[in-house]
Amino acid sequence: MKKSNKMWTILQFEFLTRVKAKGFIISTILGPLFLIIIMVIPALIATTSIGETSKQMAVLDDTGYIGKLLVESDKDKFFLTSKTPEELKKDILSEKLDAYVHIPSNVLETGKVEIYTPGGGGIGLLETVENKLGDIILERKLLDAKADSSLVKFVQNGIDVSSIKVTEAGVEKDYTEFYSIFGYFLGFLIYGLMFAYGGIVMRGVIQEKANRIVEILSSSAKPMQIMMGKIFGIGAVGLFQLLIWGVIIIILSIAGSSLLPMFFSNSNPTEMINGAMSGMTQTNSNLPFEIPTIPISVWIGFIFFFFAGYFMYASLFAAIGSAVNQEEDAQQLQMPITMALIIPILFMPVIMGNPDSTLATILSLIPPFTPILMTARIAATTVPSWQLFLSVVLTLGTLFLSIWIAAKIYRIGILMYGKKPSFKDLIKWLKTSE
Amino acid sequence: MEILKVDSIVKQYGTYRAVDNVSFSVSEGKIFGLLGPNGAGKTTTIRIITDIILPDSGEVYLFDEKMNPSLQDEIGYLPEERGLYKKYKVIEQLEYFGMLKGLTQRQANSRAKYWLNRVGADGWENKKIEELSKGMAQKVQFIITVMHNPKFIILDEPFSGFDPINTDLIKHIIMELKEQGTTFILSTHQMHQVEMLCDEILMINMGKVVLEGNLRDVKKNYGKNHLIIEFSGTGSFLNNIEKDKIIDISQNRLEMKISNYAEAQEILRQAAVENEITKFEIVEPSLNEIFIDVVQKSMVEYEKV
Repeated sequence: MKKSNKMWTILQFEFLTRVKAKGFIISTILGPLFLIIIMVIPALIATTSIGETSKQMAVLDDTGYIGKLLVESDKDKFFLTSKTPEELKKDILSEKLDAYVHIPSNVLETGKVEIYTPGGGGIGLLETVENKLGDIILERKLLDAKADSSLVKFVQNGIDVSSIKVTEAGVEKDYTEFYSIFGYFLGFLIYGLMFAYGGIVMRGVIQEKANRIVEILSSSAKPMQIMMGKIFGIGAVGLFQLLIWGVIIIILSIAGSSLLPMFFSNSNPTEMINGAMSGMTQTNSNLPFEIPTIPISVWIGFIFFFFAGYFMYASLFAAIGSAVNQEEDAQQLQMPITMALIIPILFMPVIMGNPDSTLATILSLIPPFTPILMTARIAATTVPSWQLFLSVVLTLGTLFLSIWIAAKIYRIGILMYGKKPSFKDLIKWLKTSE
Repeated sequence: MEILKVDSIVKQYGTYRAVDNVSFSVSEGKIFGLLGPNGAGKTTTIRIITDIILPDSGEVYLFDEKMNPSLQDEIGYLPEERGLYKKYKVIEQLEYFGMLKGLTQRQANSRAKYWLNRVGADGWENKKIEELSKGMAQKVQFIITVMHNPKFIILDEPFSGFDPINTDLIKHIIMELKEQGTTFILSTHQMHQVEMLCDEILMINMGKVVLEGNLRDVKKNYGKNHLIIEFSGTGSFLNNIEKDKIIDISQNRLEMKISNYAEAQEILRQAAVENEITKFEIVEPSLNEIFIDVVQKSMVEYEKV
């Protein structure tokens, strides 16, 4: 039987048994949910700033008109009171009242307002009052200064910068923010998938070694075939999972294109996510809610770097799995890989803030970081072709190097039992020729 | 006809020589016993024969062909350390390992079913390994070894984990395959199994061959040097016997080594004084005895060097 057929048999077995397993179905469903949770929830939290308070506040107004405006701005939270400060304080102590706001008569001059609470209440409480009252007082002062209403509106809305992309075909609206978020998302996805699938490869190898299955396997196929069959098989599972997600997204976006605007009629999701992702201050940009088309080159880059990264890391994960006797022992040896995967994620906000900077360029060209960072950059900006070319060459080179290293360690590791090997041992194995 | 020829293989791990210039050959249709104490180099030797590892020097020829990966399909190998995927079904694994040995899925499936039936395991197809008892899992493992009809099979401790009934079943299958011309290497510490099954033996210790040959010849060459005497009476003659020579002693039975027949006659004469002799026999040593003796001698040799 030919060599490639054995690898194919292993690949098939790995693919089919894993795709049939409950774990696959669960992770296919939970994976996106998890991603949504870790990406969208912080975004949502950030957009509602710190979160409006849910407390009800009495408004004690000395000015005679600002209090009324404040109540009108949010009738659920504020109500006017005619009680004396002493009575209000008593109400707070007896827990009949959450808090009250005292608007002094000279508020337009001093801009100072006090909130009386039983203690605490959170920053949300202060911010709610600050924002609402701030707008009212600002408008009042502008009107007092005889500013015309268009100036008032302008001050309230701020300015809006939108970017226009210059292309061969002329100019088109550029969705810089959207692309940055999307780049961030893709980089994060690659990170997650490499970790998840690399881990699956490692656990698979450890399982085969711990259960002594590897002895039978290696009496039937060569270590390289076993290792690569496993890596390809699990990689195929990953591709299959991506395909399922892709198809689901396409179906949902077709089915939901008419529904989505309803959900997002009040707030702009792109902007929401952006605020959370990059920590940038919110701008009142007027991006219409439509998903900009993602160039095919981004998808090609994503698929290429996903696989390159997967092979680069999965082979090293396999090597580590082969060296240890149980999962717990893998932790220490796994450290360098974990670091190499986490560093780009740490730099991601900075790089997405300025994807064309020297820092971004250099980091994205360091091969272990390339899969995550280059994918993100391709999505976020127009990466010069020499950089693309260089990154592909470097990535492929590193990928073959790591497979070569992994194969050498794997070949010896799978048959080694006994004490947990150190890095020194692994290097010794690397030098062993057979 | 020689099926397997092992020629001066050497395997070194660091400063430790696991296999040191081992040569032997196995003839077609024979059961060849590969013996030796723990850590003697048996597993390393087997791994070299099965092409799992390569020797530092020396050659292995199987069916007159120099060992290479494609020959792996011609070998059935039951490792001492058994291993199956706990979570996968019996039939899935049988098909997989059968296909890895070059069977098509269809072939693997029908062979698997044939063998499951043969070992009394009908209806196990869809059970997961974790649901099986140790003995049941051993049977599945044995099927993996034989299902691709290899002409050459290596069994490392094939009976461990089996009860006497299943041990007999496996022995029957081994003998049946042998009659069909299959050649075996049997590695085990159960010397009585070796005595019953093996035609030839090779004993290694510390990586070196210390004893080899036809099992009958080996025993014959060791000489009829065992005296068994059974008696009833005071047993006072036992006090005169050198302690080193005693192999086994109980209330009214003595098994000991003798240097010559005269010595046996002398012991008989002494014993007859105060005891009634019910049995007096001079026999070949057991393989167990030879094993221990050879290993000890080779240790002494080793220490001298």
